[in-house]
Amino acid sequence: MAPDPPFALLVSERGTRRLAAVNAAARAQGLSAGQKAADALALVPQLATADHDPDADRRALEALCDWCVRFSPAVAVDGDDGLLLDVTGTDHLWGGEAAMLADLLDRLARWGVPARAAIADTAGAAWALARHGKDRAVVPPGEQSQALSGLPVAALRLDEAAEAQLPRLGLHRVGQLYVLPRAQMAKRFGLAFTQRLDQALGAAGEALAFRRPASPWFERLAFFEPLSAPEDLARVAADVLALICKRLEAEGRGAKRFEVVFHRLDGKAFPVAAGLARPGRDAKRLARLVAPKLDVVDPGFGIDVVTVHAFAVEALAQGQVRLDAELDAAEALAPLVDRLVNRLGEGRVWRPDPVESHVPERAVARAAPLSPPSDARPWDPDRPRPMRLFKQPVLIEVMAKLPDDPPVRFTWRGRHHRLRAAEGPERIGQEWWRGDFEATGPGRIRDYYRVEDEAGGRFWIYRQGLYGDGDAPKWWLHGLFG
Amino acid sequence: MLGSRQARIEALRGRIAAIEAGTRTPTPVLPFGDPRIDRRLPGGGLPQAGWHEVVGEGLEGESGAATAAFAALLARPRAMKGAVVWVLRRSDLHVPGLVNLGFPVERLILVRARDEAEGLSVLEDALATPGVAVAIGEAEAPDLVAGRRLQLACERAGGFGVVLHRRPYGGPAKGATGSAAFSRWRVGPAPGRAPPDGLGLGPPAWRVALERCRGGRPGAWILEQSEAEHGPHPFRVVSELADHDLVETQPERLRRVG
Repeated sequence: MAPDPPFALLVSERGTRRLAAVNAAARAQGLSAGQKAADALALVPQLATADHDPDADRRALEALCDWCVRFSPAVAVDGDDGLLLDVTGTDHLWGGEAAMLADLLDRLARWGVPARAAIADTAGAAWALARHGKDRAVVPPGEQSQALSGLPVAALRLDEAAEAQLPRLGLHRVGQLYVLPRAQMAKRFGLAFTQRLDQALGAAGEALAFRRPASPWFERLAFFEPLSAPEDLARVAADVLALICKRLEAEGRGAKRFEVVFHRLDGKAFPVAAGLARPGRDAKRLARLVAPKLDVVDPGFGIDVVTVHAFAVEALAQGQVRLDAELDAAEALAPLVDRLVNRLGEGRVWRPDPVESHVPERAVARAAPLSPPSDARPWDPDRPRPMRLFKQPVLIEVMAKLPDDPPVRFTWRGRHHRLRAAEGPERIGQEWWRGDFEATGPGRIRDYYRVEDEAGGRFWIYRQGLYGDGDAPKWWLHGLFG
Repeated sequence: MLGSRQARIEALRGRIAAIEAGTRTPTPVLPFGDPRIDRRLPGGGLPQAGWHEVVGEGLEGESGAATAAFAALLARPRAMKGAVVWVLRRSDLHVPGLVNLGFPVERLILVRARDEAEGLSVLEDALATPGVAVAIGEAEAPDLVAGRRLQLACERAGGFGVVLHRRPYGGPAKGATGSAAFSRWRVGPAPGRAPPDGLGLGPPAWRVALERCRGGRPGAWILEQSEAEHGPHPFRVVSELADHDLVETQPERLRRVG
């Protein structure tokens, strides 16, 4: 295979084109990031270039971050070009930290992603070793100060001023800093400097922003041979759900949301989620909820790892199976609600909840089915409200004997309705605290009438606005009574 | 002679009913509480484990307001006993309107289906779930297979099903097909009586025709909502309409019922 031609990404910086990144072939010819593009092209005329796209870089890094979930659930994006994995307690699945690191880097190398990695006790030490130390270094616990001592001070993630200042004072290696008095270092280079040093050595903690919240409710299954048959996918989803449900049961807990992720050989991940209305840990039921959604999973060349996350984990007492047939009502409905929510989506299944508002379109809120009722006062059965409420009131033409009277006839959808009885008005004003005067003032007051036409059809119509106040009021049809 | 002939017919009816029921035990019925309706229904009421069709008249086939109100009242005595699932095609059902009719909304679950097939399968799923007392769905025209599935679901869990025929977004009406429903009702609004004090509107009234009913006879009535204090039955019969009234309005349908 011919070696790659020299290649560089360009970025415009104050009107100057500079190299943002170079590949190995370009580096071998003496090019480096930060060089002017014109100089680089003079040195290497056959240099191929392309514009740097930081957003695409970021997206690619995040995709890589999601892929790394197969190694550990706690993965954080670090800067523009790094990933931090918390592998505490997961390395035994590969038979040791070195084997895990080798597997990770081999897989990346197979896709042509050049990468360096190291494992250490602290994020700071791992960062330093991956960038400035020996590739694939694995530092035994507690030995990071020894491992770091030979590295340049730039390995400490310092700010620019300190990084430039230190070599001028003859401090080139991290090991030289260990013996200096801390108080004076802090005074000279700022508190951030000593903190970085402490973080690298493990004397200070460091918070990482993991891409998904670190959760102990995580299980994975890896396969020797990649899978692709749909029935296999359903089976392994059931297997991995059974694993996590067993753990949930052992600890007396249940979860409301489960996410099964299928990792493909080429690094693409396909998440499939299942939600429960009440916390649960019934693997068979979950598998049935997941199974119909598996058609989004495109196995390609095969799935080699399946992971599962449980979210919204709550304590759940061991249920005693009751002998009498009288089941708790919500308990009996939960499987139905789960099936419907998972099939139709969350927005399509709801329980109507009262809202204390006179404005009819605001009087109903959507709550999750089986959620406890809110404290709001229930709807008043004596206030006439229509069976069908239009989302948008319909403008109608009316004829009234007197301006303030209910109409005697109106026209809706080209049909005339002669009215034989009316009831009202019920005056409903807009809620003034919701908007400015224009949107809630007297011009928005509605007078609702319940009217019946000669055929017996009952309508809810209203007049908006007041007479003698600018525009003449208009009449609207807002709903139909049964 | 007449008496023995009557008795023989009764005995034959009983045998036919036993053959139809097969090994099923007879289910409890939901009476209307008025002999003028109940005597036209087999067993004196609508069976609780079964499903029924409600068809709207004219514009009601699109707006579905009177049909929804009628279905809510029809199912109200059952709905007090468990959860209610209402499958919508358009989210225009206004729950405070159900509260006006005395319908219990504390255990109401609303579902909005994307299309007809999904709505019917949700309805079937709800009816087959123990704990769901009533499931009401809006559909254009369930075919025989879907209807049969609904019936099996009702029998499995004892749910009371109502299908409201509604074309949610207008369009031409599909011809009514044969149906596996236990009964079919045609509902339209009727002018209500004025309240005693002459102010405002009285209780809502409907012109209701029982078009077909398995083991029952068709009939037509003007019904209105009975006031809360008038017993457990949601309807009050204002008048029974004569058969010629039915023939006038729906001649071809009657033939099909035959």
